[in-house]
Amino acid sequence: MALEVSHVVGGYSQIPVLKDISFDVKDGELVGLIGLNGAGKSTTINHVIGLLTPHKGKISLNGVTIDQDSQAYKQQIAYIPETPVLYQELTLREHLEMTMMAYDLDQEKAWVTAHDLLKTFRLDNKLDWFPANFSKGMKQKVMIVCAFLTQAKLFIIDEPFLGLDPLAVNDLLNLIEARKKTGASILMSTHVLDTAQRYCDRFVLLHDGQVKTEGTLSELQAALPEAGESLNDIYLSMTKVDRA
Amino acid sequence: MKDLFKNRLQRHLREMAKYLRLVFNDFFVFALLFFMGGLGLGYSNILKSLKPGLWWAPVVALLVLVIVAQIGRFATLIEDADRVFLLPKERAMHDYFVAARRYSQFLAQCTQVITLFILAPFLSVALHWTVAQILILAVAQIVLKDSLLRLDLASAYQVTGQRRMNQWGFKWLLAIIVIATGLWVTPYVALVLALVVDGAVAVWFQQHWQKQQIRWREQIKLEDNRMLGIYRFFNLFTEVPMVSGTIKRRRYLDWLFTGIKPKHSQTYLYLFSRGMVRGTDFSGLVVRLTVIGMLLLYFVRGQWLPVFLAALFIYLIGFQLLPFFQQYDDVVFTHVYPVLPEFRLKSFVKLVTLILSTTALLLWVVVVIANRQLETAGITLLVEAVEVWYLARIYTPQRLARADKNKA
Repeated sequence: MALEVSHVVGGYSQIPVLKDISFDVKDGELVGLIGLNGAGKSTTINHVIGLLTPHKGKISLNGVTIDQDSQAYKQQIAYIPETPVLYQELTLREHLEMTMMAYDLDQEKAWVTAHDLLKTFRLDNKLDWFPANFSKGMKQKVMIVCAFLTQAKLFIIDEPFLGLDPLAVNDLLNLIEARKKTGASILMSTHVLDTAQRYCDRFVLLHDGQVKTEGTLSELQAALPEAGESLNDIYLSMTKVDRA
Repeated sequence: MKDLFKNRLQRHLREMAKYLRLVFNDFFVFALLFFMGGLGLGYSNILKSLKPGLWWAPVVALLVLVIVAQIGRFATLIEDADRVFLLPKERAMHDYFVAARRYSQFLAQCTQVITLFILAPFLSVALHWTVAQILILAVAQIVLKDSLLRLDLASAYQVTGQRRMNQWGFKWLLAIIVIATGLWVTPYVALVLALVVDGAVAVWFQQHWQKQQIRWREQIKLEDNRMLGIYRFFNLFTEVPMVSGTIKRRRYLDWLFTGIKPKHSQTYLYLFSRGMVRGTDFSGLVVRLTVIGMLLLYFVRGQWLPVFLAALFIYLIGFQLLPFFQQYDDVVFTHVYPVLPEFRLKSFVKLVTLILSTTALLLWVVVVIANRQLETAGITLLVEAVEVWYLARIYTPQRLARADKNKA
């Protein structure tokens, strides 16, 4: 069991956005975190990466919580934010080097991986560029390269598919697949439901700060037989119930 | 449209008043009074030693007047969004621009009048001018500025076709011709000349503007630059959110980083050092204060004053470096990276130590050169060393820890 979120109540202020959330991500599993705008996806992710502290409940990663050993906890996580954020004063090369230093990676080995990744995402000739010169999609690719440079056990990817070109989406999915094979887990939030349906092993459907339902696609279909076949239909019917 | 300008002007003046209050704090006013007093004294001493008939006297007057004639830009207060939202109102913008010119006129003409007031004793002594002559020259200067601002207004439109008129050259040339006529021929002719030019520009513009488009992009850029200049000035005294530092690659300084080995514990030293060198905010501050300190120390002699001043400048720099620690707090990776907060703090302390030591060394060298005294040099070095050690190693971590606690 890689990531375990149990009974978490939390949010940005005293008013909780998340109301008693529990789910887990197992080793080698890709879990899709699905929900409308404001459902609590990003808040959940912020709790997992340690930016927010839960009011109640516990988040542990391979048995370690952030309070017990923040270093060991964070070492296992690689995060790709929805909006790319970069250090404005560092070049692409320096971002990679800084990531290597932060995760204490072996520089030589890491650079081999880095060059492969850079080539895949067509950034290999832009090593000396500043973030200001990158387009949004390129920045997103830089985030991906930095994250997959690490040997993290859990990748947290916030809405990866918007803004990336189709080729890059495909490359990213391949990367995810490869890391899954080595036993890493991925928690991914997205709105692109048909892609999620094809690639995720399991889904956590968030609505209004609560886990509405979770499971594999067939489990979801079994739970809501009249909703329809696709993840899209299931999700729409679920939110409709709430609206009525 | 006139109301729009009035609204904007009110907002603008409120903002300026807010910053001016901060700029002209008691300390600064005090310093300024001293400075002006000193300048005034120097000026009157020079005047006393002047004899009429010096060949360079009119040249100096020409230079001053021509340069001052260019001061006081066309303040349009237009904003980037205007080229979208006001585009349908392009014809009506004329009233707006006319109102803007009237406001710019006021500021610019005040500058002209003050300059001529200051220059008047010089003209009267060095050129033997009468009050009437000086007054006529002043009027000519004001009319000249009026036509220069008319040209600025005209350049808001594409009155010269697609090609932008070489305005800059034309404005200088015009100013030189009018003022030179006034100084070497007679101010009366200069006044007539200025009036003719002003009238011609006004008529020409009146005939042309209606058929022309506004140069939105250029005009917005000009206004942005103008405001940025003002904000930069305010930024010397206080924090101005509109001035975000720019980033320069400064490849020629990369050698500075060679000493920082890519070790896990130095992750943040890697970041901080590059951020410091390539960002203009904090590095500009350090360089500015160091240079001012060095200049000041070069002219200061004595037993204790240099020691005190050197210590003061180091303190000023060290104190103002503190916020740099939080510079990267809004980059999420600063929180996500598996680096202990202790390492981050240690890196920062190291950076502060490095910067302050460099400054201290530079200031010390100047003290030594200026005083050439073993005792002063020794005391300065000792005081500086203790101060740098205390500021960087004790004060900085304490303050940052306290700030951290307040936030949590």
